[in-house]
Amino acid sequence: MRRANVIEKDTEQIQTVEDLTGVFESLATTQIAKVKGKVEMSKMFFNLLWGKYSAIRVDQNSRITHREQDQTQRDVYVVISAETGLSGDIDERLIEAVLKDFDAKTTDIIVLGSHGAQQLTQRGIHFVKFFKVPESDSYIDVGPVINAIKPYKQAKVYYEEYVSIGVQGIKSIDLVQSIKTLSEEADLNQDIITEQDTIFEPSLDEIADIMETAMMTLVFSQVILESGLAQDASRFNAMAVAKKRALDLVNRYTLEYHRAKRSESDRRMREIMVSIKRKHKVGNNV
Amino acid sequence: MKDETAVLHVQARAPFELYYEGLASSVSATNKVGRFDILPGHADFFSIINPGAVVIETDGEEINIPISNGIVTVKEDQVLLFLNI
Repeated sequence: MRRANVIEKDTEQIQTVEDLTGVFESLATTQIAKVKGKVEMSKMFFNLLWGKYSAIRVDQNSRITHREQDQTQRDVYVVISAETGLSGDIDERLIEAVLKDFDAKTTDIIVLGSHGAQQLTQRGIHFVKFFKVPESDSYIDVGPVINAIKPYKQAKVYYEEYVSIGVQGIKSIDLVQSIKTLSEEADLNQDIITEQDTIFEPSLDEIADIMETAMMTLVFSQVILESGLAQDASRFNAMAVAKKRALDLVNRYTLEYHRAKRSESDRRMREIMVSIKRKHKVGNNV
Repeated sequence: MKDETAVLHVQARAPFELYYEGLASSVSATNKVGRFDILPGHADFFSIINPGAVVIETDGEEINIPISNGIVTVKEDQVLLFLNI
């Protein structure tokens, strides 16, 4: 059996781990609440923007799905992973889901987040572009990513979906299709705005172009936010598991410590008894 | 004659932030054509806003919002500003 003072030192170290995981756990909870609020706000923004876009009566099908003339015939998978580790196994699950569908002959990969890039490199999978995950606490500039996607025939985004604090899944969406889905939730009871009754500056076409890019950016930003939310939840779960393990270990060590302490005092007691008996024997012999 | 009681109903939003929602006496910004002011009774208007700042004049206060880009729509004194998109 280990000595009581050794067990005591180990217990103190595990308690520090428990405290630290507790802090990470509470940070993740705060972050989840913050991001959830942002997602709700961006949905409201999208609905208002879509309402105005619908009011100018531009043919949505032909415009949003419109691609540049020099587009490639290849597809692209956009993989949104975490920027750092410590988020459980969610990025591994994400990469496995991507590789299940991936065909290098027809598809390129663009990856967001260092952790995903690292996972792909370890598996020997080539990706054409890498971006750092934009900070979810500040303004999300996804312009460079949108520009990288534009030349492709089809863009499928793979990301981590937040279902609940305990459940995170892997989801994939077609970027254009998701705009249409979001727009179904928008309020379409808007009056028609035409050039007869409204001043357009610089022109209706240029405004429509900007609005389309804005909506695509918005959908992509929402996906990044949701992905961050799932990573935070996964981090929360990993920390909760670590905290529980640390707590179990502390309890086990405390028990072991008390046993060791008792065993040590029993041993001392036995030694004292033996020495008293010896002294008595010696005394009697004299 | 100018209607003294007329006001604008303004919403200024970015995708993840609400800058201002409420009444205002004027909204000013810059577009491709130049600097413009929206006052109560303005014609229906739809425009791209240039980088710079949007200024919303409320009752005794001036709200200055720095922006990277935006869109403004005006319809019957309802002003919607989609900023930093």
